[in-house]
Amino acid sequence: MKRYILRRLALAVPTLVLVSLIVFSIMRFMPGDVVLRMVEGQAYAPTIEALRHELGLDRPAYRQYLDWIGGIVLRGDFGTSYWTRQPIFDEFVQRFPVTLELAALTILVSVVLGLLVGVVSAVRQDTVSDYVGRVLAILALSVPYFGLAVLVVVLPSIYFKWTPVWTYVPFTTDPLENLKILIVPATVFGVTRAGPIMRITRSALLDVLRQDYIRTAWSKGLPEQAIVLRHALKNALIPVVSLVGLQIPLYIGGSVIIEAIFRLPGVGLFFFEALTRLDYPVVQSVNLIFAAMVVGLNLAIDLTYAFLDPRIRYH
Amino acid sequence: MATITPFSASPVAVDVGVVPPARAWYTDVWVRMLRRKPLGTLGAVIVLAMLLAAVLAGVVTPYGFSETSLRERFIAMSAEHWLGTDQLGRDLLTRILYGARISLYVGFGAIGIGSLLATALGILSAYWGGRADLFLQRLVDAWMAFPPLLILMSIMSLLGPSVLNITLVLGVAAGIRESRIVRSVALSIKEHTYIEGTRALGSGHARITLVHILPNVMPTIIVTATTGLSTVILTEASLSFLGLGVPPPYPTWGGMLSLAGLDHMYRAPWLAIWPATALSLAVFGFNMLGDALRDLLDPRLKGR
Repeated sequence: MKRYILRRLALAVPTLVLVSLIVFSIMRFMPGDVVLRMVEGQAYAPTIEALRHELGLDRPAYRQYLDWIGGIVLRGDFGTSYWTRQPIFDEFVQRFPVTLELAALTILVSVVLGLLVGVVSAVRQDTVSDYVGRVLAILALSVPYFGLAVLVVVLPSIYFKWTPVWTYVPFTTDPLENLKILIVPATVFGVTRAGPIMRITRSALLDVLRQDYIRTAWSKGLPEQAIVLRHALKNALIPVVSLVGLQIPLYIGGSVIIEAIFRLPGVGLFFFEALTRLDYPVVQSVNLIFAAMVVGLNLAIDLTYAFLDPRIRYH
Repeated sequence: MATITPFSASPVAVDVGVVPPARAWYTDVWVRMLRRKPLGTLGAVIVLAMLLAAVLAGVVTPYGFSETSLRERFIAMSAEHWLGTDQLGRDLLTRILYGARISLYVGFGAIGIGSLLATALGILSAYWGGRADLFLQRLVDAWMAFPPLLILMSIMSLLGPSVLNITLVLGVAAGIRESRIVRSVALSIKEHTYIEGTRALGSGHARITLVHILPNVMPTIIVTATTGLSTVILTEASLSFLGLGVPPPYPTWGGMLSLAGLDHMYRAPWLAIWPATALSLAVFGFNMLGDALRDLLDPRLKGR
C-alpha cells in the first residue's frame, strides 16, 4: 500500500509539470496577447511595453516559465494579483473555505438525493416509484444549474417577496447563519448533479442484487433492509464514488457560476472577478492550483476503493 | 388438385418470411428506436423541432432578433409578443427561435471538429502505441485535470467572445476528452486477428487504420458525439451566461439568461423562464436521443 502511494505520488509529478506547461502555454502563446488585453481593457499601464516589462514578460519564454514555477516550488509564491497587488496564494487560502464548504454541501445534497432515489428505484424496479425516480433523474440532468439558480434568485423575490441572503457570514462567526446562506446555492447545484448519481446507484445496485451472496442472504431470512443497506449497497458504492470523483472538476467549474450568482466570496468569485478585470496572473495561478488539487483528489479517490472493497489491493 | 405455389407450401419459405429484411445499421437504428425507445423517440422529436426552429426562425416571426422597440419594453405575454419582450423591446419568441440556431450551430460545429479530432488522435495514439501513445495520453491526463469551465473561461477571455472562437475552443476541448474513448475502442480492435490478417496480406498503415479500424470505431464515435452534444450546448450556454461565449446582439439561450441581465429579470421574470425552459428542453432532447442511440448502437448491449 505504502509503495503504491509513493509510486502514484511520483507519477503525479510529470502530470503536474505538464499541467503547468499547458496553463503557461495557453496564457503565452494563444492568439490574443495577455498584455495587450490587460492594457486595452483595464489600462493597467501607459504602454504595452511598460506592462510587459513590469510583468517580466519581455524575457525569453523558458525564463518566464522557470521563474514562475520556481517561485511556486521553492518559495510557495504564486505571484501577485495585478488588481489588488496582494499575493495570490494568500487570497486563495482566505477564500478557499467558502468554496470548499459549498462543494461539500453540494456533494452531500447530490449524494443523499441520488442514493435515496437510486436505492428506491432499484429495490422497487419497474414499479411506479421506479419510473418517477428515473424521470426525476432525467429532469435533473437536463436543467442547467445556472438557469435554476437564476430562477431561484428571481422568482421568490417577485412572488413571495423573499430573496436569498446576499451578505456572507463566515462559519466561524455564526455557523447557523452561514449554513442558512449556503444551503440554497448548495441545494440548487446539488439537485442538478443528483441525476447521474441516482442513475449509477440504480444500475450498480441492480447488478449487485442479482448476485449469489444476496440470494444466500435472502434464504437466511434476513430482513430486506439489512440485505439492501448492509450487504448490497456497500458493494454498489464503488461506481458512485468514482463518479463523484470524476465530477469534482465540474463542481469546481460550477462554483464559479454559483458563487457569481449568489455573491459568495469564494475562490470561484475571485477567479471570475479576476477574469473580468483581466487580471491574468491570478487566472494563471488559480487554474494551476485547481488542476493540482484534481490530480491529488483522483489519487485519494483511488485509495478509497480499497476501503470500500477489501478485495481491491494495491501493490 | 390446384397448383401449389412454392411459397405457401414449403416450410422453408415460411422460415425465410420470418427473417426481417436486411437493413443497413443506420436505418435499423431508427426503426428499433421507434419500436423500443419511447423516450429516445421523444428526444429525436425535440431535436427535430429544434432543427425546424433554427431553419425557419427567419420565416415564422415578423420581428428581427435584434429589432428593438423602446415603446414595447418589458411586455408580458400578449397576442403580438407570445412570450413577451425584453428590456430593449425585442420579441422573446423570435430570440428563442434564433437562439436554437446558435445553439445548434455551435453544438454541431464543435462536435464535428471534436469528433474528427477525437477520431484522429484516438486511432493514431492506439495504432502507434509505445512512446508516442504514452506521451499523448499523459498530455490528455494533464488536460483532463483542469476544471473544464475554468480553463475554457480563461481561453475565451484571451481570444475574445465570438461564434467562431467558441465553436473552435469547445470543439478542440471535446476532441481531446473524447479521444480517450476512441483510443480505448481502437486498442481492442487493433488486437483482433483479422487486423493481423490484413497486415499479412500486405495492407499499409493507411489501409489498416482507415478501412479496417475506422468503420469499427464509428458507432462509438456516433454515440460519444450525440451524448457530447448536450454537454457542448450546456457549456456554450454557461460561457455565454458569463459573457464569454457568443457576443451580443446574437441571441443565445445562455446569453439571454445572462448574469449581466439579472436586474431586468426581477421586473420581467419571463426573461429568465423562457430561455431556461428552451435550454432544458434541448439538453433533455439530446440526452434522451444520445442514451437511446448508445443502447441501440453499443454492440455489448445488443439484444437487451
